[in-house]
Amino acid sequence: MITVSDLTKVYVDNDIVTNALKGINLTIASGEFVAIMGPSGSGKSTLLQMLSFLDRPTAGTIAFENKEMQTLSDAELATFRNETIGFVFQSFNLLPRVSVYRNVELPLIYSVSLPANKRREQIERAVAGVGLTEKLEIAAGKLSGGQKQRVAIARALVTNPSVIFADEPTGNLDSASGKQVMQILKGLHENGKTVILVTHDLATAHYANRLITIKDGLVESDTAL
Amino acid sequence: MKINDALRTAYEGISSAKVRTMLTMLGIVIGISSVMILMSLGASAQALIIDQVQGVGSNLIFVVPGASKGSKMAAPQSSQGIVIKTLVAADVNALRQEPSILRLAPDVRGGARVVFENKDTSITYQGSTPEFFAIRNFEFARGGAFTNEDVTGANRVAVIGSQLAVDLFGARDPMGKIIRLKNIPFRIIGVLEKKGVGAFGIDEDSLVIIPISVAQKQLLGINYYNTLSIEAQPQYDINFVKDRITKVLRFSHRVTDPDKEDFTIRTQEDVLSLLGNITGVLSAFLSAIASISLIVGGIGIMNIMLVSVLERTKEIGLRKALGAKNAEIILQFLLESVMLTFVGGLIGTLSGGVLSFLISTAIRNFGQPDWTFQMPMSALILSATVSTVTGIVFGLYPARQAAKRSPVEALRYE
Repeated sequence: MITVSDLTKVYVDNDIVTNALKGINLTIASGEFVAIMGPSGSGKSTLLQMLSFLDRPTAGTIAFENKEMQTLSDAELATFRNETIGFVFQSFNLLPRVSVYRNVELPLIYSVSLPANKRREQIERAVAGVGLTEKLEIAAGKLSGGQKQRVAIARALVTNPSVIFADEPTGNLDSASGKQVMQILKGLHENGKTVILVTHDLATAHYANRLITIKDGLVESDTAL
Repeated sequence: MKINDALRTAYEGISSAKVRTMLTMLGIVIGISSVMILMSLGASAQALIIDQVQGVGSNLIFVVPGASKGSKMAAPQSSQGIVIKTLVAADVNALRQEPSILRLAPDVRGGARVVFENKDTSITYQGSTPEFFAIRNFEFARGGAFTNEDVTGANRVAVIGSQLAVDLFGARDPMGKIIRLKNIPFRIIGVLEKKGVGAFGIDEDSLVIIPISVAQKQLLGINYYNTLSIEAQPQYDINFVKDRITKVLRFSHRVTDPDKEDFTIRTQEDVLSLLGNITGVLSAFLSAIASISLIVGGIGIMNIMLVSVLERTKEIGLRKALGAKNAEIILQFLLESVMLTFVGGLIGTLSGGVLSFLISTAIRNFGQPDWTFQMPMSALILSATVSTVTGIVFGLYPARQAAKRSPVEALRYE
């Protein structure tokens, strides 16, 4: 599904050169649940950004099925992310003043036009999937951390993407909420979604069926769980 | 992205910081409101001037001594303080033979203090003939005009304006009373109806009108005229009559080269056009000054939008990660800016309209009863256009700045 060859990412900031990724090669098949681990500054979040087509590599190639990132314009990348990828962030990234409904609707306003009733149906189904139907009209800022992350998962699912990228999804949650979120992600994987998770917590990584560890911008290990 | 989604997103953006939104709009409200007020007052002043010029009479032509240098609409030399003595009795006699002229009245003017008992005040006096009253639409509250016999006999009689009657006599009846101009006694035989300030800036309610022979010989010591007021026969086209007068005066003054004419002829339309040009330029000038506040308001919008882009960097990153294209981010921020200026423009238009109405009411009640409230359609169209264009012009840079952000950098922004 995702093929990465010699992936390199170099950041230059005020003449300080940082080699975040130093030639990574890996393949992720459709339906896998992959956890990416590594110490702080190892390059795991950079790898996630590249895999999710959020950023372009300095060198190397990333292909999603038959689509090569290098060949896509910024607008095509945006459409690709909208249609194919769902994001779950550590800090939720919700719009706090608007309702849960409006937050979950967000990717749909940038996608192909849907009839109003169909759009509402998709949003309600995604919110029901994370058990927050009764919070639909509540402002997102008024929810607990666990509920916010569940809203973020509903938002990631509303376009029915084939891959979910989760960057430290339990990082800002208490353990009970963290478990709840991971159970949802596990459920998604069991229903055929590809889930790629970045975490620094081994217990969280064990929800996955494959663990890739990154160190100093290189793949240190790649093992099945 | 559907337009209703774009509008709703923009609305959510500006409504999330209500106080800031209102303060930002204030600049546009003040700018649009100022332009509206000035355009309205300009139109009201123009309407008043037109009304005053038309109120002087109808089918009128004025002849003044001296040529208009340069443009035909330029001020005649006689109005620039130059004494020109070329309009004389022979011209009047020649013009009286012209069949296209219904009435003709020469006049002279001067300034003096008018004295009654222990009261005195500065006034403008005019010397003319009885036809002057009919040509200039003067109506009488008391008494009537002097006669041709008064003119030929140089009788010291006077007709006074309504305000002067109040100033000098209060509640007393002015008829038959003796007033003094330059120490010469005049018996009052008529009081005019209230008329207001005339087309040429003379307060016609404070005038003293006396026989022209007395004014020329006893007050001014001249034998020429300042103006000839002519009323054309209604069946003739006014420009035809103007041409006829030109021919008569050229013949009378022995002028063959039109460039050497020593008189200027103006119809009411000429005067209206001239005054219209002056008030138009004045209105445009004042509106241009007022529009500076619009530019300041626009810069305020740009400033706030730039702050908003910075504050919402993470939101921009999120939207881009979820599939927003650069054009959609630009559209969102541009719509926010246009919404701010459009709503500001709407409030400015309403408040400008209300304030213009209040100012016009005040002007009408405190000194200028003929003043009317005017709100030209062009002001409404201009305010809607200018406020929207301001939003686009001053919103475009922040919107482009927002769209330029890379999603990764924007999401990382704290």
